[in-house]
Formats: sequence, structure tokens, C-alpha cells
Amino acid sequence: MTYSGVDFYRLDETLSDEERGVVQTVRRFVEDRFAPDIREHFRQGTFPMELSPEMGGLGLLGAAVHGPGCPGMSQTIYGLICRELERGDSGLRSFVSVQGSLVMWPIATFGTVEQQQKWLPELAAGKRVGCFGLTEPDHGSDPGAMKTRAVRDGNEWILTGNKMWITNADVADVAVVWARTEEGVAGFLVEAGTPGFTAHPIGGKFSLRASDTGELAFDEVRLPASALLPGARGLKAPLSCLNEARYGIAWGAIGAASDCYHVALEYARQREQFGKPIAGFQLVQQKLVTMLTEITKAQALALQLGRLKDSGTHETPLTSLAKRNNVAMALDCARQAREILGAAGITDEFSPGRHMANLESVYTYEGTHDIHTLIIGAEITGLPAYR
Amino acid sequence: MKIAVCVKQVPDSETRINLAAPTAELDSSGFTRILNPYDAYAVEEAVKIKEAGSDVEITAITIGPDTVKETLKKDCLAVGCDKALVITDPALDHADAAAIATVLSAALKKEPYDLVLCGFKAIDDDNGQVPILIAEKLGMAHVSTITSLELGEGTLTAHREIEGGKEIVQASMPAVLTCQKGLNEPRLPSLPNIMKAGMKPMETVTCADLGVEVPANLVQIKQYSPPPARGECKLIDAEDPAAAARELARLLNEEAKVI
Ligand SMILES: Cc1cc2nc3c(=O)[nH]c(=O)nc-3n(C[C@H](O)[C@H](O)[C@H](O)COP(=O)(O)OP(=O)(O)OC[C@H]3O[C@@H](n4cnc5c(N)ncnc54)[C@H](O)[C@@H]3O)c2cc1C
Repeated sequence: MTYSGVDFYRLDETLSDEERGVVQTVRRFVEDRFAPDIREHFRQGTFPMELSPEMGGLGLLGAAVHGPGCPGMSQTIYGLICRELERGDSGLRSFVSVQGSLVMWPIATFGTVEQQQKWLPELAAGKRVGCFGLTEPDHGSDPGAMKTRAVRDGNEWILTGNKMWITNADVADVAVVWARTEEGVAGFLVEAGTPGFTAHPIGGKFSLRASDTGELAFDEVRLPASALLPGARGLKAPLSCLNEARYGIAWGAIGAASDCYHVALEYARQREQFGKPIAGFQLVQQKLVTMLTEITKAQALALQLGRLKDSGTHETPLTSLAKRNNVAMALDCARQAREILGAAGITDEFSPGRHMANLESVYTYEGTHDIHTLIIGAEITGLPAYR
Repeated sequence: MKIAVCVKQVPDSETRINLAAPTAELDSSGFTRILNPYDAYAVEEAVKIKEAGSDVEITAITIGPDTVKETLKKDCLAVGCDKALVITDPALDHADAAAIATVLSAALKKEPYDLVLCGFKAIDDDNGQVPILIAEKLGMAHVSTITSLELGEGTLTAHREIEGGKEIVQASMPAVLTCQKGLNEPRLPSLPNIMKAGMKPMETVTCADLGVEVPANLVQIKQYSPPPARGECKLIDAEDPAAAARELARLLNEEAKVI
């Protein structure tokens, strides 16, 4: 049976013709262009970079970003795109999240007209790729303690430090790098090939294997004044980028969960034990029903969040709640689907094992599950518990 | 140059059809609907002709209920057709190929089309009659199941795949062409184009608006019935291939009585 989405509560009926058209188109792109090769990419630890310009041509990169050459569509559309992409693999959605929310969005929001004209059209077209460097080897959940520094030298800047766990580090043409300056945290556009700037892949990953993750090193990198993103002032600038990306993740997780549910349901209908399909046993049904219920709740959250964002609400705790709930939900679905598949679930012949491994990263990046608990906790109690 | 693309919305071939017992009408309520895949070749070819630079206007024309608009927007207007004409009329709900062709021909007479592109058949009824009937009614040349197309001055050259070879056909324009797999690779619409498709003109008309009387059906579908349940499958133990082959031959001869 082909996949026609999980939509128990007919939320699709609240979408416009155009939004449904977007869903079908992205779904076909994933099925035709990505799905046939994902097993091999996951095994090899590679990402299909040739899809970058194809995704650009379809308008999947920076879908909700407004600027020269950018698709400029709605937040709801961006969410639907993320959902369909992550049904394929979290690595594919990560590529699009980083390019759109963490690279194009800050350039469009904090950059000069020159920076926007130089980078946005080619990033939107997928002809160039970007990465976002905030996390450091010693500073993850607490980026405010970052060590990377940029010091003024006349009209120029000198950038020194290391960034770790950076998606697209090795393939990026430009890095959005966050560094401490005398005036607070600031963002810089650092082009690949700038003397003193190197990138190294991180090996041995069991999660998000079909995605490039690496380290960035800046050894007294001399940057022109035009590298500074003038509109980005203080730590809230990189955090606002993360808020954009987390929103896409809240949707994306639903895609991974839906794929797990679909695969588990099909398998349970066909797999016979004790003389009947295992789907006919109450314990298996309970797992399937739990998955469907949680997916449906997550869909309602994401859709309402999308509509709120489209009407101008950008409250961080709302996004935190959706990211926190939906990713944990997807990870649970992947685990339950894996259980239903029995031994078959531990190989890459079926997707739930891969989604399960991927979602461990998704659970941790863009603010760990627990950090989002603290963000929401601070919101409702007025008492921040981070430190 | 004006090109018309006649398209049809059909149930996805993967749609589950609930057909427990013979019935005169299918329950189509749960169908997922798509553009007939052969029509996608027709749309793509029209868009390629437009992109080749000449001054081309493409009109997508369809007959169907309101639900066809979603398909028209995404698979025709977003891909590059300039406008759409939807003929919506309850009188056409059970129309046969001849009636559909009569109504489409009336719509096609409204503008001086140089080319009418269609899929060579629709995957739901597998009829493959409508384009031929249109060509006949409009007195246009007709070339079926083309796999390549080149336009000249008032003429066209098309390739057709025939048993064991290729036929190269020249025809005068205006012409009705039906498109076959191999003609091109239909593109996916870009998402911004999907969002903008709603801004392109889409006109909805009835048969009366077109000034055509709905013709009586010459052919009527009497019944849909599910295929007979599949017989039981016999597995032959293949430990000894020679013995297995002998057993298979015996079964085909004595039980199935096919050899
Ligand atoms: C595949 C992948 C891709 C990534 N891509 C990028 C990227 O492109 N750009 C980028 O900048 N970063 C990226 N990251 C980094 C990611 O954002 C960090 O891993 C994340 O912020 C967590 O930081 P950490 O790993 O250093 O964990 P830590 O911050 O060390 O946390 C370890 C554990 O301690 C908990 N913890 C920490 N502080 C508290 C507290 N106050 N109260 C309670 N619990 C606490 C955490 O929840 C976690 O469970 C990526 C990570 C992965 C895995």
C-alpha cells in the first residue's frame, strides 16, 4: 500500500487546495528522488548533495523566508514541507532546516541588502549551502558561555574559536558563526576557503548518518567588516534562529512518526503468528492506537502553531512545547514500531530503526528535550531553573 | 500559437476500491484523486513548447465536478498552463466517451487551437476514445500514442512506437495528439508556483454556457463486479528441480488442463 498520509482527524480538510498540492508534491519528491537511496546513504554516512539544487528549484529551501530569490511562502507551508521531508529521513529535513531557518533566515533578518543579494538567491536555489555555528565543544545547552571570540582590528575582525556538532559543516560554502565581541554576541558570515577557517567531519555517528555533521575551527581568521550581520545584537539573535528551526522540527517529527506508524500497521496486518495477523492481537492494537493518538495530537499542535505564526505570533514557549512534545512522541512511535516489527525491525530493511536512531539527535539538538521543559517551566512559573 | 490540453482527474491507481458485490455505481467517496498520468505528458509537452520560446498560450480543459480544481491548479496551472476551463455539469455525471467528446469539441471550438494534446487514455476507464472522437468532430489530423514531437511551419513530425519499431508521422496542423510514456519526463510543480496557480484564470462553465446540448449516451455501464476470488496456491517442493518440473508439468496437464 502506498502512503497517503496519516490523517485520522481530517485536519487535511482544513488546508487550502494549494497547501494540499504542496503536500502531494513534496511527498512525490521524497518518494521518487530520495527514498530509493536513503538506505545506502545511511549505511555510507553520506547525504545526496545533488538534491540540493532540485530542492531549490521546487522552493523547498527557505520556504518561509522573504528576501531576494526566496520562496516567501507561509509558515504553515514550511511546516508541511518539513513534515513530508522528515518522513523520508531526519537528515533530509535537517539539511532544509539549517539552510532555511539557520542560514537564510538570519541573513534575511539581520543582514545588509548587499549580504542578502549576495547570498539569498543562490542559497534559495540550492546552488550554495550554508551552516550555522553556535554549539561549541564545551558549550551546548548554555551557548551564552561560548568561547569563540571576534576582536576588532581596524576595519576588520579577527575570529578565533571552535564550533562542534555543526550540520553541513563540511559541505557549506558559508558559515553563520556566532562569537563573543566587546559589544556582546555577534553573528558573522564566514566563507569557505577563508584563510584560517577549516572544517572536519565527525565520524562514528549512529544517528543522523545521512547528514553531514562536523566541527568548524577558526584560527585567527581575518574577516572584512562586511562579514558582520549588523542586525544581530546579543544572544537573542542566534536563539531567534533556533526558534524558527524548532518550529520546523515540531512538524518534521510528525513525518518520521507517521512513517513508523504506516510501516508498523502494514507489517502487523501481514505478519502472522499463532495463526492470525499480529494486528489482531490486543497488545499490538494498543501500540498502534497509541501511536495514532499521539500523532493526531501532535498534528493539531503543529497546525495551530503554524496558523499562529502566520498570524504573527512568535512566542518561544509555544514552539518549545511543540518541539518537546512532538519529538518525544516521534521517538516513542519509532520504538513501538520497532517492537511491532520484531527482529525485522532491527535491520535497515524497514525505516523505524533508522528513524529511531535519527530522532535521538533531534531530541537533543535545537534545545534538548529537558531544556525545553525548563523554557516552558520558566514561562508558567516565572522562575527560570536553568542555573 | 494556442494549445489546448484536455485532462481528466482519475482515482489514484493505489486507491482502495470498496467493491464487495456487483454494483452499477462505484462508491467513490474515499478516492484519492490525481491527474491522469498520461495527461501529465500532454501538459509537460505543451509547457516545453511554450518554453522553447514561441508565443504560446496553453489552456487546460477538463470535465468534472468541483474537486477537479485542485488537480487543475497543482498539475496544470502550477506547471505552466496559462488558464483553465472547467466544464461542470451534473448532466455529464455518467457521460460516455462520445458525449464527453461532443462537449469537449464544443469547448475547443471557442478558440482557434493549433494543437490539442491529450493523454492516450485515462487510467480509470481505459477507453482511449475521446481524443480520436474530438479529432473526427473538429476535422483535425490525429496522431496517437506519440513518443516524440517536433513542430514545423503548419506541420508537425511525431514518433510513434509500434510493434518492434518506430513510425515517424507527419501531420498538418491543427491536430489532436495523444501522448504516451516516453514523450517527456513530467516535472513537479515548484511550490511557489502552486501557491500562485490560484491567481491564473479558471473559468467554470456548464454545457448550456457552451451552447451544447448534452448528447444521449450511446454506451452505458451496467455493472462493476469484483474479480473472482483467486484460487488456492499450490507450492511444489523444489528440493529436486527435475522432479519439481515433472510435477509442475503434470499439474498443468491434468489439473489446470492448460497444456
Ligand atoms: C546531529 C546533530 C547536529 C547538530 N547540528 C548543529 C548545528 O548545525 N549547529 C549548532 O550550533 N549545533 C548543532 N548541534 C548541537 C546541539 O544543538 C547540541 O548538541 C545541544 O544544544 C545540546 O548540547 P550538548 O550536546 O553540548 O549537551 P549538553 O548541553 O552538555 O547537555 C547534556 C545533558 O545535560 C542536560 N542539561 C544541560 N543543562 C541542563 C540544565 N540546566 N538543567 C537540566 N539539564 C541540563 C541536557 O538536557 C542533556 O541531557 C547538533 C547536534 C547534533 C547531535
